[in-house]
Amino acid sequence: MARYVLQRLLAMLLTLFIIVTVAFLVIRLMPTSIYDDPTISAEVLDMIQAKYHLDRPLIEQYGIFMKNVLFKGDWGISMKIQPNVPVFQVLGGKVPLTLFINVVSLLASIPIGLIFGAIAAIRKNTLTDHGISLFVILFISIPSFIYATLLQYFAGYKFGWFPITYTVSDVAAVKYLSLFLPTLSLALDPMAKVARYMRAELIESLNSEYILLARTKGFTRPKAIFRHAIRNSCIPVLNIIVPMFANVLGGSLVVENIFAIPGMGSLMIKSINANDHYLTIAILLIYSLVSLMTVLIVDLLYAVIDPRVRMGGKKQ
Amino acid sequence: MKEQNPILQVKDLTVSFNAFAGKVQAVRGVNFDLNKGETLCIVGESGSGKSVTNKAIMGILSKNAVIERGEILYDGMDLTKLTEKQFCQIRGKRIAMVFQDPLSALNPIMKVGKQITETLRIHQNLSHEEARKSAIELMGAVGIPEPEKRFNQYPFQFSGGMRQRIVIVIALACNPEILICDEPTTALDVTIQSKILDLIKTLKKQRDLSVIFITHNMGVVANMADRICVMYAGKIVEFGTSDDIFYHPAHPYTWALLSAMPDSESRERLFSIPGAPPNMLMPPKGDAFAPRNLYALDIDFKEEPPFFRLSDTHYAATWLLHPYAPKVEMPQELRKRIERMIEEDKKYEQQ
Amino acid sequence: MRTFEHAAPEYSSLQKEDFKLHERDDAIHDAKFETKSVGFFKDAMLRFGKNTASIIAFIIICIIAFFSILGPMMNEYGYNDQDLNRANLPARIPGCEKINLLNGSTVLKNRRKDNLTDTEKYPEGCILEITNESVVNGVKMCDVRIDTYIYSGYGDDYFWFGTDYLGRDLWTRVWRGCRISLIIAFAAVLTNVGFGVIYGSIAGYYGGMVDMVMMRIAEIIQAFPNIVVMTLFIMYFGNGLFAIIMALVVRDWVGTATLIRAQFYRFKDSEYVLAARTLGTKDRTLIFRHILPNAIGPIVTRTMIAIPSAIFAESFLAYIGLGIRAPEASLGVLLSHAQTVLLQYPYQTVFPAALISVLMISFNLFGNGLRDAFDPTQRGT
Repeated sequence: MARYVLQRLLAMLLTLFIIVTVAFLVIRLMPTSIYDDPTISAEVLDMIQAKYHLDRPLIEQYGIFMKNVLFKGDWGISMKIQPNVPVFQVLGGKVPLTLFINVVSLLASIPIGLIFGAIAAIRKNTLTDHGISLFVILFISIPSFIYATLLQYFAGYKFGWFPITYTVSDVAAVKYLSLFLPTLSLALDPMAKVARYMRAELIESLNSEYILLARTKGFTRPKAIFRHAIRNSCIPVLNIIVPMFANVLGGSLVVENIFAIPGMGSLMIKSINANDHYLTIAILLIYSLVSLMTVLIVDLLYAVIDPRVRMGGKKQ
Repeated sequence: MKEQNPILQVKDLTVSFNAFAGKVQAVRGVNFDLNKGETLCIVGESGSGKSVTNKAIMGILSKNAVIERGEILYDGMDLTKLTEKQFCQIRGKRIAMVFQDPLSALNPIMKVGKQITETLRIHQNLSHEEARKSAIELMGAVGIPEPEKRFNQYPFQFSGGMRQRIVIVIALACNPEILICDEPTTALDVTIQSKILDLIKTLKKQRDLSVIFITHNMGVVANMADRICVMYAGKIVEFGTSDDIFYHPAHPYTWALLSAMPDSESRERLFSIPGAPPNMLMPPKGDAFAPRNLYALDIDFKEEPPFFRLSDTHYAATWLLHPYAPKVEMPQELRKRIERMIEEDKKYEQQ
Repeated sequence: MRTFEHAAPEYSSLQKEDFKLHERDDAIHDAKFETKSVGFFKDAMLRFGKNTASIIAFIIICIIAFFSILGPMMNEYGYNDQDLNRANLPARIPGCEKINLLNGSTVLKNRRKDNLTDTEKYPEGCILEITNESVVNGVKMCDVRIDTYIYSGYGDDYFWFGTDYLGRDLWTRVWRGCRISLIIAFAAVLTNVGFGVIYGSIAGYYGGMVDMVMMRIAEIIQAFPNIVVMTLFIMYFGNGLFAIIMALVVRDWVGTATLIRAQFYRFKDSEYVLAARTLGTKDRTLIFRHILPNAIGPIVTRTMIAIPSAIFAESFLAYIGLGIRAPEASLGVLLSHAQTVLLQYPYQTVFPAALISVLMISFNLFGNGLRDAFDPTQRGT
């Protein structure tokens, strides 16, 4: 097990290295330069470029960048958004907010999705099942930004139940209340996906022989389902939860934008548009890091829940 | 037969399924008794209603099944009328079941130990430790080596034969009176099959079980049965003791089944029953086997045959036994076969 | 139990002549299948035909496609005809004068009531309704619902979905945007499937070292978060139509390739492929005639389910400012513009939002129907 984790961590570092390299090259090769402001005179421009080694060949710039990263842990400074502030300091305040709405919406949506999926499966082909299926198809189909827009207009503007946009406040309640609508609009899609999958998996489990065997042992049907079918169905559902975590930060970009949340999303858009290259690299790195980490964690969880994986058997 | 006291009586049991295309009549008026301490084999090809009959006894029919008529009498109760809650007191504790495929019958992600102790804990209120002890003891008794170690393993770490032993342990955990075996060896290797059959026989003797054994394999029947019911298209067509059925078969379907059984002596091509079983959405008028019967009479297509009594223990439902019927003998080939079997048996007994 | 002796009276009417062996016209044989054999596609289509929701979804997709092609030509306004004098006019459809959302009306709040008669400010016939009258500091105030078109001097015009901040006709832009979104989605998905099938087939068919190297490459590509890949791609290649299509493919094809590879692993060692191989069948024939057709169901299903995801991804890019270059607009670009003025001009959001929602629901239902039709065992997942 420890060996497996170590292997995965090494593979992750390699991937991160490749991502940073590609990101660096792509961003530096872009036709636009960092300082394309015509008001800066040529001499000043040359000076600035010399200071940041921007006048050297690309490979050398990359070498300097990597040397700083590896030996000094220096990822460079922001050049436009907050000039001369180290990139991770700029990022510092933004990551938690983005992480918060994403993780909360995912964590809340998974159990709710599981419950509704289970209800639909147990009541298969009844009105309850059809009702749940209708909502599932609506939530899966309609994009999150449409929900965000609807919620903002109705729940925020027309009825005034919640703040229209993110509110900066020292009072925690006010702040989290303003994060409710964005979190909700992010939660609907994963909830529906989990419910749909859970329904299918549970229906299969319910038809299995081990449920029959459990009933011949003397369990009532609900008890047999609870003890034997539910956990067995949750395992395959993990297969669709993993990719959700891989996209854990990406999904909120638009919703952050709509609700004016000063998170990673808006920062990324700004830094791209402003050609703040080192900041962009850092943001891409964070996106990749979080997504790789969460996938690793979920994979390890998989092993905890499913003995067949833990014992070196095959994933089903 | 009348002297013996039946422990379980199935009377005129009729079960149908509401399927997409209509009502499927899976079991159509089945009667049989299970006597204390005997093994009753129910034989028939796929879809003859043998599994459905036993699922009805266990009370685990699927939701779209309906018991139209009939009763299942056990210990003064009619099992068809019990509530789910009352049934839970019987299932596992007094009537238990062994499934066909041990691979799918065990929960793949639960330790086998827990799957065994579950039964003990619901019915006997044992503590964790007591249940564990009793389970390990049973595992040893059915021939699982190193039961302590095996107790904490998962089904995927067991071979097919060992898994079936676990299923048997689960069934026997609470000392049931009746054990229903639904083709328990079909999914296993031939070499393992005989071991499992021997195990069931031994356990039956040790624990004074009454066994209902479902199979489509006449070879297994010969090995196990005290009495035999032959089922076709949801009905019993012939029943009797093992000797009755093997040495004096009277129904053409039983003839066909026996002829289709492989044995070491026969050189010729194995017999196969022509045609296909009837569509149970619309069972045919008269005898359901008639369209495939080489000895069918005209009346078979008009009237359903009643049971004709051959001896106190032996009954068959075929018009061939009616006094009006022409004399029809079983096929020559089969007669030779049966003679060979009788001889072998005699030799065996002398030894 | 009904035995003959007991039941004798019931059978008293038995005729002796019935007790003779039944004469058969021919030997008993296994029943033949009486139905005609149905091809794989025909069978799938028959199953699909029974799924009402999917049929309706398909019809809706056809209607939307029809309007995407012809919609922009249905009125005289071009998609880029700008006129700031008619900016932000609400939707106005002939015959819908009673429906506030569709009659080109706007509510102006807190107006001096006395000014309403001034035809300089309020041209004749533009006032539809006066509400909320009150007196503030001795001045009569009210809210007034006006016909925005007459108010701005465009009384004869009908912009069915209204106009945007540059006075461009939204009907034309929405359908043109829908066309672009559909083109992007279809092109992206077809490229994705085409490339994925080829890549997966090669890896799956040849196996061994080839497979190892190809799948490691695919794994590395997949390790990049989608959003990062798309962003980098568009930053580098710009936001033209082709670049956006490629950005949607650059990572997603890996999934298709993995799926196809798995299919190859399943079938390449099966008896019938070995049989064909011993007969000297060429690699190409084996791949395209013997193995790939088995994967046709999953491929079709994946294609249909990937289309709504592609539409979503494209809108997503538009929202973060990486959408298609102006003055072209996709549904996503229209929505992201409309979003910024949501509270002032909600009608600009309503039409593209409704359209994209209906489109996504239809594609999902259609895709579900196809999946059920091609693979009945997968029902419901």
